[in-house]
Amino acid sequence: MAEISFRQALNDTLREELKRDDNVFLMGEEIGVFEGSYKITAGLLKEFGARRVVDTPIAENGFIGMAVGSAMLGLRPVVEIMTFNFIALAMDEILNHAAKIHYMFGGQTPVPLVIRTPGGGGQQLSATHSQNLEVWFAHIPGLHVVAPSNPADAKGMLKTAIRNNNPVIFIEHLGLYNTRGSVPDGDYLVPFGKAKIAKEGTDLTIISYSRMAAMALDVARRLEQENKWSVEVVDLRSLRPLDKETIVNSVKKTGRAIVFEEDWRSYGIGAEIAATVQEEAFDYLDAPVKRVANVEVPLPYSKPLESAALTGAKQLLDAINELAPRRRR
Amino acid sequence: MPEVNMPRLSDTMQEGTITHWLKKPGDEVKKGEIVAEVETDKANMEIESFSAGVLEQILVAEGETAPIGQPIAILGTGANVQSQKQAVAPQVVAVPQQQPATNNASIHPQSRPAIESSPAQNERVNGGAVKSSPLARRMAEEHGIDLQQLKGTGPGGRIVRDDIEDYIEQQRNAPATRQAAPASVAPVAPAASAPAPISQPEAAPEDAEIITLSTMQKTIARRLTESKQNVPHFYIGSDIDLTETLEMRQKLNANAGEGGVKVSVNDLIIKACALALEKSPEVNGGYRDGQFVLHKHVNIGIAVDIPAGLIVPVIRDANLKGLRTIAREAKALVAKAQAGKLTPADLDGGTFSISNLGMMDVTDFAAVINPPQSAILAVAAARKTFVPIDNQPVIRDIMHVTLSADHRILYGATVARFLQEVKRVLQNPYLLLG
Repeated sequence: MAEISFRQALNDTLREELKRDDNVFLMGEEIGVFEGSYKITAGLLKEFGARRVVDTPIAENGFIGMAVGSAMLGLRPVVEIMTFNFIALAMDEILNHAAKIHYMFGGQTPVPLVIRTPGGGGQQLSATHSQNLEVWFAHIPGLHVVAPSNPADAKGMLKTAIRNNNPVIFIEHLGLYNTRGSVPDGDYLVPFGKAKIAKEGTDLTIISYSRMAAMALDVARRLEQENKWSVEVVDLRSLRPLDKETIVNSVKKTGRAIVFEEDWRSYGIGAEIAATVQEEAFDYLDAPVKRVANVEVPLPYSKPLESAALTGAKQLLDAINELAPRRRR
Repeated sequence: MPEVNMPRLSDTMQEGTITHWLKKPGDEVKKGEIVAEVETDKANMEIESFSAGVLEQILVAEGETAPIGQPIAILGTGANVQSQKQAVAPQVVAVPQQQPATNNASIHPQSRPAIESSPAQNERVNGGAVKSSPLARRMAEEHGIDLQQLKGTGPGGRIVRDDIEDYIEQQRNAPATRQAAPASVAPVAPAASAPAPISQPEAAPEDAEIITLSTMQKTIARRLTESKQNVPHFYIGSDIDLTETLEMRQKLNANAGEGGVKVSVNDLIIKACALALEKSPEVNGGYRDGQFVLHKHVNIGIAVDIPAGLIVPVIRDANLKGLRTIAREAKALVAKAQAGKLTPADLDGGTFSISNLGMMDVTDFAAVINPPQSAILAVAAARKTFVPIDNQPVIRDIMHVTLSADHRILYGATVARFLQEVKRVLQNPYLLLG
């Protein structure tokens, strides 16, 4: 069990998987010689050579298409899209090829493809470089979509993603790369479709994923230290498949839920969670489900405006203050 | 907006019961006109309106009681007429020849106001239900609480779990001045032997030992005294031929496999009662404050013998559960009961109880009802008995059961029908697998 950064956990895992299976290879813009815009692939070109770590032209639809083709023929490509925002260029390859081929051609060939990509705002990268588009992909049957919040889950889920025979969108977050946490050694796998109760609590439930789950955990721990409320944090980890059981059981226990997400509020992950809760735990709800999400604007460049548009710990605390029950449990 | 209030019609009057509304929502009311008839402690009298307007909403329906001074109807311009109006309109269209007769008629004895229930203090949604969270409604149903009595403190006056818990605590503390007693411990006595009356402690005779009661024992004493004093018990017994059920059980358990949960006779009786309760909602209900409360869930309490007491954990939705699930849950609850680890959640919400002394070779007994439930089944041992079949003596396993019933809600025939159904299911045990 080593205490390492999220970035290091990803780097270690890629190295381990490249060693474990000769069919695994990496592709992406600037991932080789430059070692990746966020240095996730540091040292890998040197270690594994240009056949296994492939620098691509700036052509997302082209290299995702190549990755789909190579996956169909038995390789296990792990592609980096430099930031989530650029994935729009490859939508047809993901939506109409990767997600459909196994289904439409009678199961003749699976598409064991992983697309890793960092999203998230807060770095003053402005409107076209700060988005969270997970809901687009979580909507599509045929894909798996995961979004870990800590280094251990990053390792365990990236391993599961690489060994999974389905196309997986593996969502990272710029704001998480430098966060640290203990990571189990060896072949550690985290299954898809299993949410984690990051912290138990009795007064209300926060349902979140990726960086917001880490933030929710901080807030919940602080409230516990201050002896205010006992907040349960459900870290979804996996958006498709979604672990409805854990969500519903938690809300049945606390009667109140907040979905905390860094995407836009309308039609977001929170809408899906809220619908699930009212479908399956209606009689247990003591208050309407609250969604805490970004303001619905393209993210501004200016720091004060960016901060005002992004959701965060303050917005979450306000929501908890509004929603929390009068009596503590 | 002017209101019509319950008037003081005699010096001793504290409340009045509306016997009859002469006006319905939408009707014009003149100043001084009689709008309703009311029954007081002395006589039947008429209520006249002190203002003019259109009757918009009836707040206290016929048959309901309101204290003096409380609003019983709202008068207005007619813009906000509530209740039956929409329902009446299509009828009028369908039968046009009646139309002239219904409008503006000053007396309307035939139509009963649709708005029920009394005080108008709570936030109402569309003039009907009290605004409350789904969880609060479920808890209120489980605890038999009338939401009208509560004041909501949630957003917009919504009644939330906090309010229900406050109320339960108040109710619990009110009698606690006499006798400390958490209401979550809800035991029943298995036998009809009269519980010890609560009386002045006397000086101990030399040849007796005085034992101070635990909280649970105090609760048992108090609740069962209340039950026997306040609930008019009656008893109906039945002999049930358990031969085939016992055969089926043997087969089931022989095939349970290693680690499989064995189904007990009690589990079979739980399931049989649960199925029969689906057909007898009154037996699954209770009498409370002049009303029958019929529960939507069938939650069966099982009396468990524990050191120095008795406790009744609950198997929820037993009608929807399979035998193995019931067996597994019952086993777990008994283990928890014996370890003293039952939580209020394990004890709340029972709608019917079973007390089984069959394993102690009891031939016949009657149990005390566990309020607010309306009935409890006392189960004796299944005994080898000669039974005449085709005029020949045949040995069968016969079990005697006695149902104690609350005569305020249950009548002889209702209970007999219920027992018949229990018997039918237990004598055709494959129905238990349905």
